[in-house]
Amino acid sequence: MNSIKRSYNAKLKGFKSSLISIGFMGLAIILGQVFLWCGLSETNIVIVFILFVLLTARCTKGYIYGIVTAVASIFLYNFFFTEPYFTLAVNNPDYVLTFGVMMITAIITSAMTSKVQKNIKEAKEQETQARILCMLSNRLTDAKDMEEIVKNSIYLFYEILKCEVGCVCYKENSKPDETYWAVNSDGILLKQTLENPTELQSRMFQLLESYDEGNKFADWPIYGQQDILGVLRINQFCNRNLTDSQIKLIRAMVENIGMAMDRFRQRQQAEHNREKVQQERYRGDLLRAISHDLRTPLSGIMGSAEMLMDQLPNESDNYLLARDIFRDADWLKALVENILNLTKLQKGKLNPKMEYEAVEELVENTVSLFSRRFPEYELSVDIPDDLILVKVDGRLIMQVLINLLDNARKHASPEEGICIKVDFDEKSKNAIFSVIDHGEGIAEADLPNLFQMFYTSSIRNADARKGIGLGLTICQGIVQAHGGEIWAENRKEGNGAVFRFSLVGVKESKNE
Amino acid sequence: MSNYREMVLVVEDDPQIRNFMKYALEKEEYKVLNAANAGTAMNILLSEPVDVMILDLGLPDMDGMEILAKVREWSDMPIIIVSARDQDREKVCALDAGADDYLTKPFSANELLARIRVAIRHFYHSGQVNKEEIFQVGELKVDYARHLVYLSEKEIHLTPNEYQLLTLLARSCGKVLTTGTILSEIWGKNYGTDTQALRALMAGLRRKLEITPAKPRYIITEVGVGYRLVDE
Repeated sequence: MNSIKRSYNAKLKGFKSSLISIGFMGLAIILGQVFLWCGLSETNIVIVFILFVLLTARCTKGYIYGIVTAVASIFLYNFFFTEPYFTLAVNNPDYVLTFGVMMITAIITSAMTSKVQKNIKEAKEQETQARILCMLSNRLTDAKDMEEIVKNSIYLFYEILKCEVGCVCYKENSKPDETYWAVNSDGILLKQTLENPTELQSRMFQLLESYDEGNKFADWPIYGQQDILGVLRINQFCNRNLTDSQIKLIRAMVENIGMAMDRFRQRQQAEHNREKVQQERYRGDLLRAISHDLRTPLSGIMGSAEMLMDQLPNESDNYLLARDIFRDADWLKALVENILNLTKLQKGKLNPKMEYEAVEELVENTVSLFSRRFPEYELSVDIPDDLILVKVDGRLIMQVLINLLDNARKHASPEEGICIKVDFDEKSKNAIFSVIDHGEGIAEADLPNLFQMFYTSSIRNADARKGIGLGLTICQGIVQAHGGEIWAENRKEGNGAVFRFSLVGVKESKNE
Repeated sequence: MSNYREMVLVVEDDPQIRNFMKYALEKEEYKVLNAANAGTAMNILLSEPVDVMILDLGLPDMDGMEILAKVREWSDMPIIIVSARDQDREKVCALDAGADDYLTKPFSANELLARIRVAIRHFYHSGQVNKEEIFQVGELKVDYARHLVYLSEKEIHLTPNEYQLLTLLARSCGKVLTTGTILSEIWGKNYGTDTQALRALMAGLRRKLEITPAKPRYIITEVGVGYRLVDE
């Protein structure tokens, strides 16, 4: 219906323009006759004709009427005002020149006038577009959430197009919402159900143009920086009759809406992140406070258990009970130390007390600490004779070695033994620490996940004593804080796993 | 040795740890006094003939460092500080401020007793130690008068710096010497805190004294704090 009206309109406009042209030409002839009767010179009549050509061009649309009138004016002038009158013949050949000049002048003026007309029209269109876009961006900045962005924009579309307009939002997972807001042809806002979200999604996914014609709606995808954020739906009929400039305008508006949606999403994301960071910090603080407070009672438990062991005859039942208390407390203590280091690492406030430490001293200290706790384990040490210095926080690197030894201990029997080895790589100037056990090795499935927090091997029996999967994470954190690397592998020859980490080091020759 | 047993003051706010220390010390027949806070500790110090103090750095009413400084104004008594593990810096500060030794929580009774023994011997018998011309521990022997060092009766050659380092450790054997103390003793007060040279010097000395440097018998490293020469 709309299109019929539209073409009817166009015809009407053409008819009107023709009428104007004919009318102006008629007026020119009448005025010319008046001038002639008054005895005014012919030049005035020529000027009158040119004036009316100009007026025609001014009052009609496009170049065509102006040019036709310009040509027609020559013939009319010739017919009515040159001798012999009422013929197209001329007595005086001078007139040919007059006609020529008159024609050129008429055509140029009409063309120029039409051009000015056209420019004015374009400027007006641009102004309207700018006004609409400005209005849109105003409404979008006022919007507090996604829904308001959608509602504000579709209302504006309705105001421009006066037809049914809707807007589907996409969820965070890049799937369209099941319901969407739309303004119907009477300007009433309604919530609609999206009949086939997946179909819409796939149509939008394959789309190469700026919109896609569906059954009832033409769907315009709204893109954000990375992803599609929504779909604007414009009534099909209405969409078909859009002029080029309207399409351009809609494209610009859709782009603006996309930007606004993007902005909103980013703001939401940032807020979300901030909350998460805050939560993480609270959790870290809590963990830290608890661990800190655990330490003192643990010292009490361990000391008291030790005293009990001292009082009781060796290997008596009570002695063994006291020993178990001591061992569990000792294990808890190690856990607490690890948690404290972890929270320090996570807080990013682990400011290592970097000093040059001798590799041999670090290893020596670790070995003696470990041997005191687990005297039954055979530890072998393999360190180069040259002095290797690493600039580290000694306590933290010892923690790494202790954790790795502890790890090895859990996977190997005491007789199998554990080896600590240090090499110096001349090429990269790295000291490479290795902790080698002769246990069952690492399952392929576990290799990529070893250093993940709270990861414990799924292959081993869950009760296989005591790992909550923090040790290696802390090792990694500490080593990385020192600019080093840590990795794990299986021994090439024989059973067992090897954990290695590298730290930048300095090698000093033995003799000073 | 006479029947006199030293009086030990335990300044510790946690009652369980206090009890366990008291028990361990009384078993060794020390006389033990307890203080749960700095105020009580100061009162006891002023009224009782305390011989040794065990001082927790984390007290509720006063910083342990303050008590240390106050006591050091009038007394040289052995003070052993007790600290948590992440208090490395405070520990080293306390040692440099005049504490004799330290214990890290949680510690065992044997550690506690060993530290006290060393501290008492140093303080109350140091006159004799210093007069001795010869220091001996295990197979290691230092002849101060002749500047000679023997290992298993065999003379070993040390550089002047190595000798200085060894005698420094030997004169306070059993006690920990902080890295800072050693640096200023050997290289002078203005040397700074660069540990690289000390590590190298220590490595050289260790290679001459120890059969397996990674499992040392004589010089023990206390990572983050300093070094200690074993005394038994």
